[in-house]
Amino acid sequence: MSSIVSLTMLAESVRIAVPYTCAAIAGVWAERSGVIQIGLEGILLAGAFSSVAVAHATGSASLGLVAAIAAGIAVSLGHGLLTEKARIHAVISGIAINLLALASTRMGLRALYDSSSNSPSIDGFRLGPTGATGLSMLLRVLVDPVFVCAVIAVVATPFVMQNTRFGLRVRAAGENPVAASSVGIGITQIRLAALSVSGAICALGGAHLAYDQHRFESGMSAGRGFIALAAVVVGGWRASFAAAACLVFGALEALQIALQDQARRSMVGDLIQALPYVATLFVLAFAKRRSGAPEGLGKHATE
Amino acid sequence: MLGSVRGPVIKIEGLGVRYGNFWAVRDASVTLEPGVIHAIIGENGAGKSTLLKAAAGFVPIVTGNVRVEGDANASTIGMVHQHFMLVSAFTALENLVLGAEPTQSFGRLDLARARTRANELMKQSGLSVNLDATTRDMAVGERQRLEILRVLFRGARAVLLDEPTAVLSPIEAEELYATLARLAKEGATIAVVTHHLDEVIRFAHHVTVMRRGRTVASRSIDRTQSAALEDELTRAIMGGEPPAPTKAPSLPDKPSEALTIDNLVLVDGSGKRVLDGVRLSVKAGEIVGVAGIEGNGQRELGRAVAGLEPNVTGTIALGGKPFEPVRSMDDMRARRRALAVVHEDRHADGLMLQASVGDNLVLGELGELSSTMDEKNAVVRRIDHFGIFPADAERAAGSLSGGNQQKIVMARALDRIEASAARAAVVLGQPTRGVDVGAAAVIHRAIVSAAERGLGVLVISADLGELKRLSHRIVVLSGGRIVAELPPDSPDDVIGRAMLGMEAA
Amino acid sequence: MKSAHDIRAALPIVLAIAGGVLLFDLMAFGFGQAPASALRMAFDGTWGTAYGIGQVLFKATPLLFTGLAFEVALRAGLFNIGAEGQLALASLVGAVVASKLPPSLPAVVALPIVLCVAAATGAAVAFVPAILRVRRGVHEIITAIMVNRIVDAILPWALATVLGSTSLRTADIAPGAALPRLERVFPALTGSAASFAFPLAVVSVFVVIELLRRSRVGREIRWVGLRAEACRAEGIAVEQRLLLAMLLSGAVAALAVSSTALGYKGYYELGLGAGAGWSGIAVAMLGRGSAMGIVLAAVFLGTLEQAGLAVNARVPKEAMDVLEAALIVLVAVATRAAAKEEAANKRDDEPFEEKPARAAATEEVAR
Repeated sequence: MSSIVSLTMLAESVRIAVPYTCAAIAGVWAERSGVIQIGLEGILLAGAFSSVAVAHATGSASLGLVAAIAAGIAVSLGHGLLTEKARIHAVISGIAINLLALASTRMGLRALYDSSSNSPSIDGFRLGPTGATGLSMLLRVLVDPVFVCAVIAVVATPFVMQNTRFGLRVRAAGENPVAASSVGIGITQIRLAALSVSGAICALGGAHLAYDQHRFESGMSAGRGFIALAAVVVGGWRASFAAAACLVFGALEALQIALQDQARRSMVGDLIQALPYVATLFVLAFAKRRSGAPEGLGKHATE
Repeated sequence: MLGSVRGPVIKIEGLGVRYGNFWAVRDASVTLEPGVIHAIIGENGAGKSTLLKAAAGFVPIVTGNVRVEGDANASTIGMVHQHFMLVSAFTALENLVLGAEPTQSFGRLDLARARTRANELMKQSGLSVNLDATTRDMAVGERQRLEILRVLFRGARAVLLDEPTAVLSPIEAEELYATLARLAKEGATIAVVTHHLDEVIRFAHHVTVMRRGRTVASRSIDRTQSAALEDELTRAIMGGEPPAPTKAPSLPDKPSEALTIDNLVLVDGSGKRVLDGVRLSVKAGEIVGVAGIEGNGQRELGRAVAGLEPNVTGTIALGGKPFEPVRSMDDMRARRRALAVVHEDRHADGLMLQASVGDNLVLGELGELSSTMDEKNAVVRRIDHFGIFPADAERAAGSLSGGNQQKIVMARALDRIEASAARAAVVLGQPTRGVDVGAAAVIHRAIVSAAERGLGVLVISADLGELKRLSHRIVVLSGGRIVAELPPDSPDDVIGRAMLGMEAA
Repeated sequence: MKSAHDIRAALPIVLAIAGGVLLFDLMAFGFGQAPASALRMAFDGTWGTAYGIGQVLFKATPLLFTGLAFEVALRAGLFNIGAEGQLALASLVGAVVASKLPPSLPAVVALPIVLCVAAATGAAVAFVPAILRVRRGVHEIITAIMVNRIVDAILPWALATVLGSTSLRTADIAPGAALPRLERVFPALTGSAASFAFPLAVVSVFVVIELLRRSRVGREIRWVGLRAEACRAEGIAVEQRLLLAMLLSGAVAALAVSSTALGYKGYYELGLGAGAGWSGIAVAMLGRGSAMGIVLAAVFLGTLEQAGLAVNARVPKEAMDVLEAALIVLVAVATRAAAKEEAANKRDDEPFEEKPARAAATEEVAR
């Protein structure tokens, strides 16, 4: 058994953390603008499926990413329109998105590939050294385009939020939509813009997930969207903290995988798979009482 | 920027604003000229705020029009709302620029340029705020100055203010009017909506009276004729004789203690002592008024006495018996048998707006009403006694007017406590806030009646006039403690000074 | 004008269902099928034959429970999306207990025991998100998903490692705990899996909804959902009511075991009843809070599920899942539009101004 503290573990942790981080940053963008977004799970699936479908059809992994971004923006805008224009409760809309994405991608599998569980395999990005050493694994993870995007997102988000006009308006819409509206800011427009950013980043995470497995599997997001939400809460709606939480979660999951053999031999068996979720529950239970939620989360400018 | 351009003339002609079938403003006409402070006065619900909002473009106009005449680049109308439109988490500077942000390349904020402009503006207007303070930590007066600065920052030469003195002490109100006078002298168009007649007579140059959505009178103010003016304006506001003011009842001969509070201390999450050793007492049959500017512990006092603050220390005695802090439902029930509390924010703590009037009237009493018949009787009785209109128990509470909504919470509290043998006291927070004169009269009569029947009544209110009319004694709450006790006929500025006295604690 | 009101309340549902049919037609068309013949096939497989009807009722039964469960929590303002995990674990525990009961135990004793055990398990699983929400303010949606995933890991482990089963199922339940099929009483339904769990479910829906409307606890739960702060200020134990609502929700969802293990298979196996938790959300949204609405919605969605199987050869059954999810949105939008319309109309017909004489009439404040 390779040692727990190793480059391999680091590489695995980072690799696993990427989709979580993308979903978490997406959650930060959506919720900072005041829109409750529990549909991240569905957007991950949408991104995963569209990237694989297009990559398979065109042979280009990059085009697949473009498709994922388009899908993510579309779904996110749908959520925005439902909550802002049709004034549906954001939680209901989020649940509907998750269910819709799960069912639609399954239907898509059937329609395109006549399968109820997997798509055919795709290459994804095969970049970086091809060795099996910890260092090669790590390098492969680091040169992955989605990883790079994720890092940019983590760094750029606080900068944009604090230093640009757009970021100021997004924050205003999230903290006090009534006040922001009274000074002439279009709350719906701002929220839709923020949601577009959110959808794009989340879908990229979904694409990473699919490219990693080199295919799309039904329901492959497996709750990551919700764990990302937990990261947002624990991280106080701050991009850097949320990303850190995702990294920790990635490490936990990598740990769980590494321990799986051992676990199977003991009484614990496959129960080890519950480890990351139990850990998340503990953190949620004992982390500082919800601080940092935007005050206008879930609120509207009028009525 | 300031002072160089004369403000616009705002001509409002035959304005009508409607919510459903309800005309908030009907056929209202008024002309706001630059260089003067124009007050728009009327009682709660007369349509004054709506008129202003329509003039500033915040509500859609159904009939009539608003014409803005004057210099092309001086046509911006700025509005300072009654409830501040500030983002608490932002700094003053961020709030100042929001919506009109100066930017550099790539959409980056140019806060340096904003700061320079802000400093200039502060010097010119005489209003100053700490640009780097977080808005939620700023005092109310400073926040209001920020609101005005924001309006000026956008180049507005017309400033419309909606009930600006509701949250200010008498002295801060004077300072505000001094600022407005200064701006007016430099040529700005200033309009102030208020329901305080004394302010109008002291500070305004011109006044328009609104009643039930219409403009019924408009004249310039001649301060030498203030008595006659006051009379005339009151008549215009009321549309006839005002209802006879309620007076405090005479005190019983040997009154017992109804409510005694000693050394009440409450520390909030950030370590601030929101209640800093409050002590006061109310005798049976007595009405004690608690005066003070909002934010000095009023809400917390009401909650602490009601038993909703488990961390409060100190003693509270009702009817002479001490009550332990509430730790269980039994404690709460025992306290509610002796005490009724109407909290100051009926929308936050008092009513379920989507539930029926009937449900709201019996909220919290389902354990005590022994049958459906009892419940029905209680609901009908309460609607009837307080004249809740429309008298329909199935109607959603949110569809009633402010005054009627307030009647619901009052009826619930007073009728319930009346039936309790162990009753001792009633605490009322802002009982007539946002309530029309008719409903306010009903509420005041109910308060007096409660005292006459032996309850000790504590009225916490920002409306000094109300307290002076109703109370046997007035105490002043400032910085979380009682800093003064005064007879109700004390002059306003004496009370006002006490309100500000310990604020810098 | 109660009937006019009822019609207005039903209109959004009708519109939404019409939208759903349209969507189905589009999907059928997308898969190269003539919409009319696909609809015909769907109908034949569901309401066209007695067997189909039986299957519809069978599929509707767990939805009645999960729909009711979501509604109960929703009254308190809580979103219980943990029904999947609650009913799964409760089914396992219930089936295990049922299998350990003495074979001679009569149904009158065995059934209540099993149902109570299942309900208690469901409540216990719901307790985790409930207590975290009430004590720590953590949103119950995130925690419910975590618990679902933990239950997902517990189930196979429990079946394989603890119970030592090689086929991931429990032993057969005692005969006393089994619910007989409806075909015993309605021979026309022979072959279908519909059991007495269906009438049990319908009765439960009516009973629970009525309790929520009339009883003190039910009314207070609803009031807490409307405005918790006002309730707290008037001495209602808000936390307790929230907890109660969630626990009740979990218990109700757990009763779906009656349809799957007790009324159909006669044991619990991994995956039995999966999906009912999510469909229950659609049922509650369609049912709009009334008992009749929930029953009709559950039957409707049961029809969809059965129809999915019926048309599977031509249009994949996954299309039905898409339809279900789309219906949630359609109903929400339609209801919202209807509510806005009604509010606007209401303002137009009711006078707002009160007569000034009212103030004088209340001289009588002193009794």
